[in-house]
Amino acid sequence: MAAEAIAIALTVGPGIAVAGVAGEAEQAPTVTTWHERGAAEQTQRRMNDAELIREAQRGNQAAFEELVRQYDGPVLRLAYHMTRSEQDAQDIYQEAFLKAYRNIGNFRFECSFYTWIYRIVTNLCLDHLRKRQVRKEDSGVVTDADGETFDMLDQVADVRPGASPEKDLMRRELGSRIAKALEKLTPRERMVFEMKHYQGLKLRTIGEILNTTEETAKNTLFRGTQKLRAALRGVR
Amino acid sequence: MNCEWVRQNVTLYLYGELADDAQHELEQHVARCQTCAAELAEQREFQEQMSALPVEEPTASFLAASRMRLQEALEHEHPQRAWYQRLAFDPTAWLRQVRFSPALAMVIFMVGFGGGLGAMYQSMRHNPGTPQQDNINWQAIGGVTAIEKDPATNEVKVQYDRVAPGTVQGAVSDPKVQDLLLYAAKSNENSGVRLSSVDALAEKTDDPRVRETLTYALRYDSNPGVRLHSLEGLAAYVKDDIRVRNAVLESLLNDSNLGVRSGALHALEPVKADSSVRMALEQLAKDDPSDYMRGESKRLLAAMPTVY
Repeated sequence: MAAEAIAIALTVGPGIAVAGVAGEAEQAPTVTTWHERGAAEQTQRRMNDAELIREAQRGNQAAFEELVRQYDGPVLRLAYHMTRSEQDAQDIYQEAFLKAYRNIGNFRFECSFYTWIYRIVTNLCLDHLRKRQVRKEDSGVVTDADGETFDMLDQVADVRPGASPEKDLMRRELGSRIAKALEKLTPRERMVFEMKHYQGLKLRTIGEILNTTEETAKNTLFRGTQKLRAALRGVR
Repeated sequence: MNCEWVRQNVTLYLYGELADDAQHELEQHVARCQTCAAELAEQREFQEQMSALPVEEPTASFLAASRMRLQEALEHEHPQRAWYQRLAFDPTAWLRQVRFSPALAMVIFMVGFGGGLGAMYQSMRHNPGTPQQDNINWQAIGGVTAIEKDPATNEVKVQYDRVAPGTVQGAVSDPKVQDLLLYAAKSNENSGVRLSSVDALAEKTDDPRVRETLTYALRYDSNPGVRLHSLEGLAAYVKDDIRVRNAVLESLLNDSNLGVRSGALHALEPVKADSSVRMALEQLAKDDPSDYMRGESKRLLAAMPTVY
């Protein structure tokens, strides 16, 4: 068991446990996918993933790129919604998959690749939030990949039929208030709320990703929700 | 179950995270308790409100640009292997390395070939009539590698390598000529020879092997002139051959020579609407250190309709 002990001790950066934590192997790994899939399909996917991972561990870059293509859409969506900047989202995406590539040799199939890659991404997002809190950036204005700034509220325009300009304006104002309220959460509360409310992950998976228990994830979600409700009270 | 428990779990209830029995109990309680019913309504309203900040799927071009950037970085990365994997010799990985290192493969091939050519010549003094002695082609001797004297018989063994210069003449499409040109373009030490090979091969770019060699030269040749001439030969294929397009894109972004980069920029003009090319142009227009590259990229971008 010496190999396992060594793999468990390895980390890919500040606070990022690569190979999982002790005791995690006892839990049945949970795969939560964006679109609901049948159990058979999930099993099939995990088998395919396992082959791709083994190939990537042997140094096959094409196999790794295939893995990237299976997971990178949700990763980029999460990073973009969290950072609200194309540039920052792309940086997180890039760093996450590079870390995964460098450390794929230490992946021991103790959790799903899904959990593993999300663990790397969420740690990078948390680092980003912590830095941003220090910088106290203006929450409404973000930068796109061209380096041009635009107001985040343009993103929340209502394009449904029947939407009036007044309603649209109100919706934008609401979007701005929400963005500001989210900034007030601690990075961890923000992360849990993001994964539950916006990305639709199960709390059990969120706990696994954040190297904590489902119970702790529930408590964090409750605290975050209470803060947000207090900040947005009276806003329609 | 009391009101405090409901207050704490109403969020989980709405996210479908409560156990079936707890869910049932909560519903029963809310039906009886007005305060908790109000709490549930408020939480539901809050969750609907939060959706005013929508989650958007990344656009195809954003995803493509991210993948391209990652792919580029992966080229320079080597995954760390677990310690037990490092101990084991993996012949397939070794073969892959050879496949990805055409230059190394060529060296191995040449060593084998040279070894085969290395001939043994024995000078037999007591048999001066040996025809071999008279037939030595002095121009073909590349160098003497070893001399051994047998003290018993007083015979001398001279070991030498033979180099036979040769000439092949014919059209570029002649397979023999083409093979030599392909070899010279990749492995000749003299950049003048490489340049001439690339120029000659540029006539035959309809052959995928030729395009592969020119792509190799564009990526790896140390001489900017050779890279530029390869680029000119390849320019007609940026539209139809994705590997050519990727190599030209790589040159546009990474070549150390401004002339080659500007050549790549103009070669890509016919496919500037391609999302990967467009992203590269946007990147250059934004922060390229060269004024010329920034200006030209902006010009190309301005001349094309905005794609959403």
